[in-house]
Amino acid sequence: MTVTLSEARPGDRLPDVDFGRISRATLALYAGASGDHNLIHIDSDFARRAGMDDVFAQGMLSMGVLARVVTGWAGVDRMASLSTRFLAITPVGAHLVCSGEVAERCEIDGVPHLRLTLSAVITLNDGCSVRTLAGEALVRSN
Amino acid sequence: MTDIAPNPRGFFDRATKGLKTEPVQFEVEAGRISFLAETLGETNPVHHDRAAARAAGYPDVVAPPTFAMVVDLETGRAQERRGEPSVLSRIGCDFRRLLHGEERYDYHGLIFAGDTLSIMTEVVGFEDKKGGTLELAHLRSEIRHPERGVVVTITRSLVHRLA
Repeated sequence: MTVTLSEARPGDRLPDVDFGRISRATLALYAGASGDHNLIHIDSDFARRAGMDDVFAQGMLSMGVLARVVTGWAGVDRMASLSTRFLAITPVGAHLVCSGEVAERCEIDGVPHLRLTLSAVITLNDGCSVRTLAGEALVRSN
Repeated sequence: MTDIAPNPRGFFDRATKGLKTEPVQFEVEAGRISFLAETLGETNPVHHDRAAARAAGYPDVVAPPTFAMVVDLETGRAQERRGEPSVLSRIGCDFRRLLHGEERYDYHGLIFAGDTLSIMTEVVGFEDKKGGTLELAHLRSEIRHPERGVVVTITRSLVHRLA
């Protein structure tokens, strides 16, 4: 049972968003859709010349999926802010899951809000997990 | 072609601190919103279907939160096509060594298909970190609708790997 906006308390978890495995095709399509044509994400030859082992995912792809944790739960029209720090790159082939929980109830200019803490975690082919994004969102709760 | 060896002085053009770009216009298309939403795995019909968006009380298809990035990148590309440097070119971004540091969006309103928006960016400043192995550029952009005012503010740092 998913917690509601009005009942949510600090520590309550939001439903995860399981994006699945990030393939080369995912990166190519996201490049076209987002307008981020940086070749380091879509051209292995370019990535190797730049000193990387291979292409890696656009940071904003994970941030976009992270935003779904918030909008899927609270609705797109309640989001007041979304911020992330990028902690590690996401290699091609990684499995991405984004999650969130309620940090606190607060008031901003007299309007009740919830502050949410968010995480993107990837699982690599060898089974290791890495936290790639640490995020925060404010949503209006009235 | 520039050599990729570590350079303690960095590659950003620090003389661009304080630069404010002229507003650049962007027309929001429903198909572009739907394409972005699809690549993010977002299936909510308000991002894909005008009738569903209207039934939910919106004037048209609704952009997902990170659509602001599309406005930013596509206006930069449109400038380059016209032979004007984008803000990323002006600050000296080297895409081979570029990473995201932080990204923050403050939302004052939603973006809908059919909107004609304008974006302006300010170069807030530069910073060195981790003993000079990273250099950061801090940028702030405002996306504005002619009647609804500022809809999104983007605050972000771009990072060059120098080692």
